[in-house]
Order: sequence, then structure tokens, then C-alpha cells
Amino acid sequence: MANRSFDVRKLPGAAAIAITCFVILYIPMAILVFYSFNAGKVIGNWEGASLKWYGAAIHNQAFLDAALNSLILATTASVISTLLATMAALATTRNERFRGEGVIHIILNQPLMVPEIVLAIALVIIVGQIKQVTGYTGLGFLIAAHTAFCIPFAYLPIRARLEGMDLSLETAAADLYASRFYTFRRVTLPLLSPGILSGFMLAFVISLDDLVISDFLKSPGQDTLPTYLMGELKRNLTSEIYAISSLLLLLSVLIVAGSWVATRKKD
Amino acid sequence: MLDIRGLSKRFGYGKGEVTALHEVSFSIAEGEFFTLLGPSGCGKTTLLRLIAGFISPSGGSLVLDGKDIAAMPPNRRPVNTVFQSYALFPHMTVGENVAFALEAQGRPRSEIDPAVDKMLSLVQLLHLKNRKSSELSGGQQQRVALARALVAKPRILLLDEPLSALDMKLRKDMQIELKRLQRETGLTFIFVTHDQEEALTMSDRIAVMSGGRVQQIATPRELYDSPANRFVAGFIGESNFLAAKAANGAVEVGQGRMALEGAADGPLTLMIRPEHVMLAGNAPDALELEATVDQLVFFGTDTHVHLGLADGAKLVARVQNALHGTRNLNEGERIRIALPAKALRIVNDEEIAA
Repeated sequence: MANRSFDVRKLPGAAAIAITCFVILYIPMAILVFYSFNAGKVIGNWEGASLKWYGAAIHNQAFLDAALNSLILATTASVISTLLATMAALATTRNERFRGEGVIHIILNQPLMVPEIVLAIALVIIVGQIKQVTGYTGLGFLIAAHTAFCIPFAYLPIRARLEGMDLSLETAAADLYASRFYTFRRVTLPLLSPGILSGFMLAFVISLDDLVISDFLKSPGQDTLPTYLMGELKRNLTSEIYAISSLLLLLSVLIVAGSWVATRKKD
Repeated sequence: MLDIRGLSKRFGYGKGEVTALHEVSFSIAEGEFFTLLGPSGCGKTTLLRLIAGFISPSGGSLVLDGKDIAAMPPNRRPVNTVFQSYALFPHMTVGENVAFALEAQGRPRSEIDPAVDKMLSLVQLLHLKNRKSSELSGGQQQRVALARALVAKPRILLLDEPLSALDMKLRKDMQIELKRLQRETGLTFIFVTHDQEEALTMSDRIAVMSGGRVQQIATPRELYDSPANRFVAGFIGESNFLAAKAANGAVEVGQGRMALEGAADGPLTLMIRPEHVMLAGNAPDALELEATVDQLVFFGTDTHVHLGLADGAKLVARVQNALHGTRNLNEGERIRIALPAKALRIVNDEEIAA
């Protein structure tokens, strides 16, 4: 590590600010995880340690259905959006600049800027019509919508990685008799894979977490994890919700850790 | 073997159009160590990239072994490049880097493995075959880049300022190493550099470029002895330029006068290398002038004597300390100097342009 002339830890109050931030961020989560092991049913009323709410969650068919929906949705949407984002990133960094490239940039990234509720309202009108006409009420609508708003999250890390890559590597491959596809397979893709992986993980987590669009677009009786939790929160607030939330938290932590390990290995 | 005919390259269009290369034509012979030499922006790298196929020409043709390759993509040309940044694949080992070209060509493993080992021994890196290329020193990376570009036995090896990232000592070693490799493989090398010393020591022939044009193509010796114009004379080695006037088969500089063949009447520029300036009068067949010793600069093997002429012109003379020495010279002293006719060149003030 290069010598940094400036050590942030030596600034007055740095430690206090850092600790305050961490407390505000993580104490609520710690409390959530703690109460998920509560034997009592009522939230906030500690009646001894137990895994009983985890047991209840695993046998709760509504939760399991919602979890399965969420996993299918997040996996499909993040795979498709990562594929599209990879192609878009290659097109905007590896070709000669073309007319309208700036516009494409804005269009790709608009889900980051447009308030989600606006997108949800716009979609619910169209999707409602299509549902009426076709009678199809499956996960397809959610997959399409999630794919759309996941693209920029997958696109940004992939593009950043591509921009940081030495262009002369691909030139060198072409010089050494490699076709465009062979160059992509042997040089571009292996070097790009950490970017693709982090784009995929980000898209997966964003999709898994989405409440607003899912809630607007879901068909009756259809639930994803966030919409299920939201519904439960309104109806009956039990320690089971804490257990389910803790499981969701565990999954996110695993994904982030997995992505970190994978990226480190590649570098 | 390689014929470059009227090759030109323009970048941009409309008002932003820049011509990087103006209809360049010359030929390179089989087994030649050919150097493109010039300052940055002279078009040498553009020419190299055109030969490699990374960019396509705006006009002209590029004929290799009788075939026009100007429209051929780089992966189909029997031409390989050693890049300035080496461009080694960082996710591959040294061996995988060197094997890349043969694998891309779809050669069988039984052919690839011995070829890679042979190439790595040639650049004395066989023991590092399984290292990641990012774990090597600059000089080692340079040799891997060479092995990688040579393994598929290209018709021409292109080298884009490959030594510029190395320190002085390593650079000298690599110059000798490159020359050895070229002799051993018998390959045609096209070498791009802005370093005139590098060009002089390694090349069979040099093309000096400026402003997107070739100013002169000659052997190092011819370039040094008879530069075609003032640009070439100034770029290669050190030169003194003197404004002179020619009349009736003689040239005049200040009070000095000397018969010189081939001088058209009128003003002209004379060039002489510092080592040819003699610090003594009464030489036969020489232009004799009076000068003041402005400054003596000691360089170890020789001393540079900075001289001022009566009309304000400046000259530098280089004196080998082992031969003559300058112990009897003092700054401010007025002396007579002689410029031998055989060392004086009439140079064209204009470089080749439009």
C-alpha cells in the first residue's frame, strides 16, 4: 500500500462519528436477529431463547411460496439483466463512438433516476391491460419489470471494469491470430468476469429486495418475500417475521461475502 | 518482400481532419532490420499500425509477398507485434501467453508445447514458464512479449518502441539481444523508435519520418554522413549549420571562401558534424574561419568547444581528449578553425512536405 500522507483516523472526532454511524446502522439489525430467537410470540417481549420461530417459518407454506417466487424472480431477472448489461457495456466501450451513444447511456441508467413509484404506476396500468386481454397472471410480468430496473445495476460495474481494462490486450489477441470471438472468450471474458459477477450479485440483491414494483404488479395470491413480509407486518406482527427477516439478512450477507471472495480470487 | 505504395491515413473528417500519413512509398527486403525513426507525431506509429492491420488506410496499398493485405484483418496477417506496453495477458502464465498465437491458429498440442519451450529457451525464460506474467520484471516481460510474437513464425515482426520502458542499462542489453534474435531467426523486423542512437546501432536501414512523410531512407552510415535535409541532419547526431553564399563554384561564409562542387549560386546552408571541425588553420581543401572560444565543456572522452563566429553564428567542435586535448585552449581566446571540404554538406533547408 502506498503511503497516504493523510490518516483519517487521526482527525478529531473521527472515531466518535464512525462508531455512531455503525451503531445507528447495525443496532436495529442486531436487535432484529436477537428477537428472532425469542420464544414468545409478541415482538419485544423476551420469553427465553428458542429456535421455534425458525421452525414455524420453515413449515409456513405461504412463506415458502413467497421465498421460492423471490428466488426464481431474482435469479431469472439478474441473469437476463446481466447478459443484456454485458452486451450493452461491450457496445458502449468496445466500438467506435456512434451517434446516439449518450442517449443510450441515459436510457440504460434511467431506472436509477426515475422514482420507483412512478415506474410502478406506469407499469401497473399497462400490465393490468395485458393481464385482462391475455389472462396470463404468472411471474412473467415481474421478471420483465425486474430485468428492466436491474440492468443499470448490472451495467455500471461491468462498464467500469471494461473501461479499466487495457485495450491493447484485445488488440494483441487480434494480432496473434485470434478471431473476435476467440479474443472475447480467451481475453475479454476472463478479465471481465469479476465485473460481471459483481454486476450479477448487485442485480440479484436489488431484485430480491424490491417491494414497490413487485407489490404493484403481482397478481392476486402471488407474493415475493418483501410483499409477503409487508402483508404479514400489517396483519399479525409475530416473532416469525423476525426469523424470516433474519434469514433474508443471512442470504444477503452470504451473497456479498461470496462476491467479495470471488472478486479477490480473480484479481 | 513488403511493398508500401502510396499509403496514406487520415483521421477525423471535415474541419477536424488530420492527415497522419501522406502517401508513403518504400520497400522492405526479406530479413532486414528496418527502423522507422522520428519525433512523436511523425506518423511512424500510424504506419506500424497500418502494417499490423489495427487501422485501415485511407489510400494506397500494402503488398506482402505479392498479395495486397491492406484490407485484411490483423488476425489474418502473418505479421506480429511487440507492443510498447507489452500487452501481456495478465490472467495467463508466461507459457500460456507464448502459446496463445498457436492455440488461436488451432494448432495441435503436440506442436504447440515444443514450440513454446523452444521459444522460451531462445529468450532464456524457460524457468519462468509457469509464472503469472504480472509477477515478472520489466525486462522479463519484454522478453515474454518477444517470444509470444515470434512463436508463430511471422513474416514480419513489428516492434513499437519496445525498449522505451526499460532503464538505460537494460536497454543497451536488450538492443544487443534484439539484434541477436533477429540474426538467429532471420526474420524481417520493423522497429519504431524516437531514439536515434537506438536506430543507428541496430538497424540495417532507417526511414526518418517527419510530418507524416518519409524524409530519407538510408543505412545508418549514409544517414549520418549525408543527411538529405536539415531536419534529418538535426535529428540524427549533432550538427552545426552555417548560412553561406555560393557564387562561381565557391562558397563563402563570412571572410572564409572555398571551392565547392555542386553548389548552385545563391544562399545555402552548410552542415558539418562537430567532430569534423578542426581547431587549427592552414588545412588543405578546407574553409578557414576566425572564431572565439566561448566555452569549453568537458565530457570525459571528449570536450565540446563552443565557438562564436564574427557574424554571430555559433559552432560546436568536438575534440577527443585522448588525441589532441584542449589544454592549450582558453575561453575568450581567438583562434583559426578549419572546416574540411569533405566533411561539409550542403543541406536542403526545407524538409519534404506537400
